[in-house]
Parts: sequence; structure tokens; C-alpha cells
Amino acid sequence: MADTAIWNFRQLAQHTLDGFGGIGEGMSIQIAKDGRRILWLAHESAPKNFTAVDVSDPRNPKLVARADLPQMHMRSNSLETVGDILAVAYQTKDPGLQPAGFELFDISTPENPKRISFFDCSAPHSRGVHQLWFADGEYIHMSSGAPDVTPRNPRDDQFYRIIDVKNPSKPVEIGRWWLPGTMEGDSAPAPARHPGVSDTGFRPHNTNVYPERPDRAYLGYIDGGMVILDIADKAHPKMVSRWDYHPPYYGFTHTVVPFFERNLLVVSDECTRAEGADWPKLVWIVDGRSEENPVPIATCPLPPLEDFVRRGGRYGAHNLYENVPKPNNWKSDHIVLATFFNGGLRAYDISNPYQPKEVAYFVPAPPEQAPTGAVQINDVLVDERGIVYTVDRHVGGLYTLEMDF
Amino acid sequence: MSLSPFAGAEAPLFGTRQRRARGPRLPVIVVTGFLGAGKTTLIRALLDRPEGANTAVVVNEFGEIGIDQALLRASSDATVLLGQGCLCCEVRSDLQETLRALFIERGRGAVPSFVRVVVETSGLADPGPVLQTFATDRALGGEFHLQALIAVVDAPNGARNLASMPEARKQAALADRIVVTKSDLAEPGETEVLLAALRELSAAPVRFATNGEIAPDFLLDDPLERPDPPAAAAEPHAHTHGLVTFPLILDAPLPWRAFEQAMAVLVALRGADLLRVKGFVAIRECRGPVVVHYVQHVGHRPVELIDWPDADHRSRLVFITRGIGREPIEQLFAAVGALGG
Repeated sequence: MADTAIWNFRQLAQHTLDGFGGIGEGMSIQIAKDGRRILWLAHESAPKNFTAVDVSDPRNPKLVARADLPQMHMRSNSLETVGDILAVAYQTKDPGLQPAGFELFDISTPENPKRISFFDCSAPHSRGVHQLWFADGEYIHMSSGAPDVTPRNPRDDQFYRIIDVKNPSKPVEIGRWWLPGTMEGDSAPAPARHPGVSDTGFRPHNTNVYPERPDRAYLGYIDGGMVILDIADKAHPKMVSRWDYHPPYYGFTHTVVPFFERNLLVVSDECTRAEGADWPKLVWIVDGRSEENPVPIATCPLPPLEDFVRRGGRYGAHNLYENVPKPNNWKSDHIVLATFFNGGLRAYDISNPYQPKEVAYFVPAPPEQAPTGAVQINDVLVDERGIVYTVDRHVGGLYTLEMDF
Repeated sequence: MSLSPFAGAEAPLFGTRQRRARGPRLPVIVVTGFLGAGKTTLIRALLDRPEGANTAVVVNEFGEIGIDQALLRASSDATVLLGQGCLCCEVRSDLQETLRALFIERGRGAVPSFVRVVVETSGLADPGPVLQTFATDRALGGEFHLQALIAVVDAPNGARNLASMPEARKQAALADRIVVTKSDLAEPGETEVLLAALRELSAAPVRFATNGEIAPDFLLDDPLERPDPPAAAAEPHAHTHGLVTFPLILDAPLPWRAFEQAMAVLVALRGADLLRVKGFVAIRECRGPVVVHYVQHVGHRPVELIDWPDADHRSRLVFITRGIGREPIEQLFAAVGALGG
């Protein structure tokens, strides 16, 4: 069994969340009215919905609330908070099931989240919402299906939707976009499928919008590559550019984070297969000077596949720290923090974007009863204090760290 | 200022500003000293303490470190694992290759993820080339940072070695810190003679170790981050055998171009005699101090720190030279300062 490997991080604590330590890719900080700093975590899979942890003292995180999912055939892998509102994405295992959509909660008392509303996205061909972005308190940008849209291929069941939640009791869709050719009725031809098991769908994963460019949405479009949308007119998003590097690369573009001041985009893939079957899954540095023509210029270096591939589970890129544009979140346009499943959490200095340099890593020892035999570091968040929160996908729960670089 | 299209609005001159001189790099502590001075005992005592955990020791021969063979577990033919996450590695060809291999093994998880390296040099080694190994990115400067050069001198023989061996003098003169060992075995008066000889050679802080026991921070901390109480006299040290040590303080910040040019002149004309120059420089374009380190003709990559460590924001350098006094260097910096505008 591998020991914890740690370099230029200091581990402050681990909280296995009382036996439910499988966390997805929703992590969000709330400062409660009483001053407590609450970290909201989305669970990777049923039976748990979300868990709230008091991280005011990151050396001593305390569980404060937890919710169960209403059904076992669903997951709530993504969540965000703005102020005292929590938005949680609900995706069902198969199309046609319920509840599929997102739910808004009033979390003014973190111990007692109260439902405000539910936005229904269920339909015979929809699994609901996989991921949502909620940063400005006004709009939710998400990857979701809908009753009035039918995908030509069931794997393309989710698309980009903008929901106005200014009145959180009555969320209203105000705009949508999908890759032309993916939905019934499109005049464009259907995109060529990726071969065999590498066909993971032409649909968005992360849908990020930042105050520096409120007229842009940055989409990781899974098998469609990276997509930049012009959303100046939210009712009619228009594609600015698409960078599609697969094949020959395997697909599953996950997250796009613009480093605005530096004309750079940081793009992650998601590794979705164990034992290196979809290697390499990378973090890309992209020249964003001309947004119509993004040019990849580097990838973040990783230890060789053979050193991690037999540790168990997945080894490759997944989530990035997204420079979350909310108070109480950290911001850097020089440091990239990325998660790599059994490759742990890794930090890169991209002062020279042509040569990203690894400056820190944290690869915890396999958590007890890890089903894959290895840690599967899934997501990362950094607060304005520089405290790093990272999570295991299956059992390890939450790790709190300090950056020491 | 920067020509890079990716520099951003407020591009730091030397890349990401760092909290400390080593930035994210692995700290390296180089231990020099003559055969029998007590280097091995010192290192072994460090490894036995909690502060010494996760240390990689690099030696010329395993025999030198004198580790109980029963505790060792072979990792590869050149590396053995010790307790406490420590490992010991033998220099097979050259130091650079050994350290590069260790760095790669560490990233792969093939050896424990050590947090520092201690290099034990062979007794007669001139520390100059070792210091240069860490200077440039092409060498090891991208991954490793020379944190401290420690000279170990034993009280019974130290003064005699300093008097007769140029390598011993250079080891002491270049050191960031000096450890005096075996003072309990010295004849009356020998230790005092040794201390006086050291004071003539070096402004570095001196401490005593008994059976290798010494406060670990004296060995491990970056001297720039934790300056010891000034053994560093304000006046140049005596010119014993031509070695000169003096501090240089510059009141006004310089443009980087001016500082760089002054050093270029010095390196071009007297590089071989510029044994070591190290310290903080106040650069006009920078918020924090810039850490510079030159060893003869080679300059380490400058690093800008996020902040000054204290209220004194003047440039503070220590020069260790062969026969170059303070005056011409002060004049040189005054001239480039005046011209560099």
C-alpha cells in the first residue's frame, strides 16, 4: 500500500464524513450568518445528496448537515451556493426517470436546508442536470436535458441551458445552445461518433461564466472539445469557437478556465476509465489571444502512466480549481490546481505557459476500504485564506490542506 | 515590461513571486568538512530527530554515512531506504545525475517523497562546483535550491587544517553556517585559536555540536529567512590568504538592468575571484526583494519574494572574494546606480 506522497502542501485534516466519504464535483463555500464557514459538498452517488461541513477551523472540520437523495436511481454530483441559496443538480441513472432537474434550497440555517423550488428537466429522453454553474446569484448555467428537445443519439441528451433564478421560487429558462447536429430537427449533420467505447457523448460538462467576460460561456463539451459561446444575448447564444482535439485524443473535455489577464485558457479532460484505458487524459494550456482560434501550447506534466496505472481505479485529469468568482474563493492566474484520481491533487506554476512546472502534489494513501484500492481524488476548491479542500470520489471524504509554495 | 503576450497586466519580472527563496524547489543542504571533522555524525544525529524526517542523504560512499546496515533496505543498487521516510543515495557518477535520478524516482513514487536533500561532500571537496550545480535550470536549479552550505570543522585539528589546506579555508569561507565539533576533545586553547581563525575567514554564524547534536534549524533553515545574530561584522574580514568577506548595503533600489550590468562587469573582469555573492536586492521594478546568488561566473536564477522579511528594504549582499575588497565594488554599484537612472 502506497504511503501518502505530499510535496509543498501541508495536510491539516481528513474527514471521512462518517462513512459517506464519496464526493462528486460540487464544492462551495458559504459564510453563514453566524460567521461559520460552511463547505457544501455534493456526493458522487446515492444514497447521499449533499453534506455540509463547518471548515471555520480547517484543522478540525465538523459535519453540520447532510441530506439523503429521494431516490436511489439518481445522483446529485454538482452543487453551488450563492449567499444563502444552494442549487443542487439532479441527474437520474436512465432517461425518463424522476426527479431530474435542479433544486434550490434556503440554507440560511445550514443545519436545516429548506426547499425553495424544483426546476424539472425530466423527459423520456432526459437524465436531468449533470452539472451547474451558479456564481452571480441571478443565472444558473447548466448541462441538462429538457422535455422539448430530443437528442439524435441518447448519449447527447444534455445541452447548455441558462436559467434565470432571480426569483428563486420560479426559475425560468432564458436561453439554450447545443452543438449543431446533435438534436432532432437540426439542419446540420450529426457529428461523427467517437469509435466504440470512446463514444461518451456530445454534451457539455462544465459551463463556466465569469464577471470579467459576462458575455462569454466556456464549455467543456465532452466529445465535442472546448466550446466558447457568445452569450451577450442570453436568449440566443452563438458559438465563437470550438477546439476539438479528438480523435486522435480520446474525448471527454471537462472544464475550461480562462486566465483572462494572461490570454490563456486552462482545459481539463476527464479520465473515465480505469487502468489507463483512455490514457492520456490531460490538463491543457491553450493560447487564448484569438478566441476564434484557440491554440494548445502545452500540457501539465504528469508522472509516467506505468507508475500509477496499476494502483487501482483511474489515473488522469479531471477537475480544475476554477477561480470561482465569488467572495471567499481564491484567485490565481499563475497557479493551476488539478485533480487526477489516483494521481492525487497537483499544482502547476504556469508563469511560463509553454512550460508548466509542477510545484506541489498531494497523493493520499489509499483510504480505508477504497473500492479501487487507491485514492481517487475528484475535485478541488480553494478559499480566500489559501486553504485547499480536496475530496475522494469513493470513501476518503474531505482533505484540508495548506499550500506551502 | 515583458514581451510575453501571456504576461498579464502586472507581470512579475522573475515569474511567480515566491514566499521564500527556494520557491517550490527542493531544499539542498550541502555539508562540507575535512575527513574526521564529524560530518557523518552530524548528519546521522539529524536523521534521528523528528525534524530530520523525510531527508534524502547523498554520499560518495555508503560507508561514509556509517548507518547501521541492519536498518537498510535496498531500493536500487544506489539507494537505500532508512527509517522516518529517509533514504540514502550513493553518488555513482556525478552529483547532478544522482540528484536528477532521485527527483524522478520521487515523482514516480519509487522512493519516499523526501522533502529535503543533504549532500555530504568528500573531505577535500572544493564547494564551488557543488554550488554551481544548483545554479542554472539546465543543471538542477529548476528542481533544487541550495538552501545552506554548512562547514564542519573539528576543534582539535581545525586550526591546523585552515592554516595548511586551501580547501579547508575555502570550505569555511564559503559556508553559510559553521559547525565546530569535538571541542570536548580539544586541548586547552585550541578551540579559541580555531574560532579566531574562522572569524578571520568568515562572517558566518558558528555553533558547537556535541556528538553531532545541534539545533536542527541551524542546519536546515534558509539563512536568508532566518538570519542569525550578526556574527557578520560591518567591517571587511581580514584578508587571510587573500580571502575577503564583506557585506554590501545599497540604500536606494536599482533598476534590474543596472544591477545586472554591474554584476556582469564583475563577472567578466573578476569572475574567478568572485567566490560567492548572496543576498537580497531592492529592484525598482519589483515589490519584494530579489534573491540573488552568484558563484564565480555563474548566477543562480533570481527569485522575487512576495515581501521583505523585515522593515529594512535596502539591498543586502554578502561578498566572498579572492582579493577584491569592498571599495571598488561599492564604487561600481554607485556608478551604475547613477547612470542606470
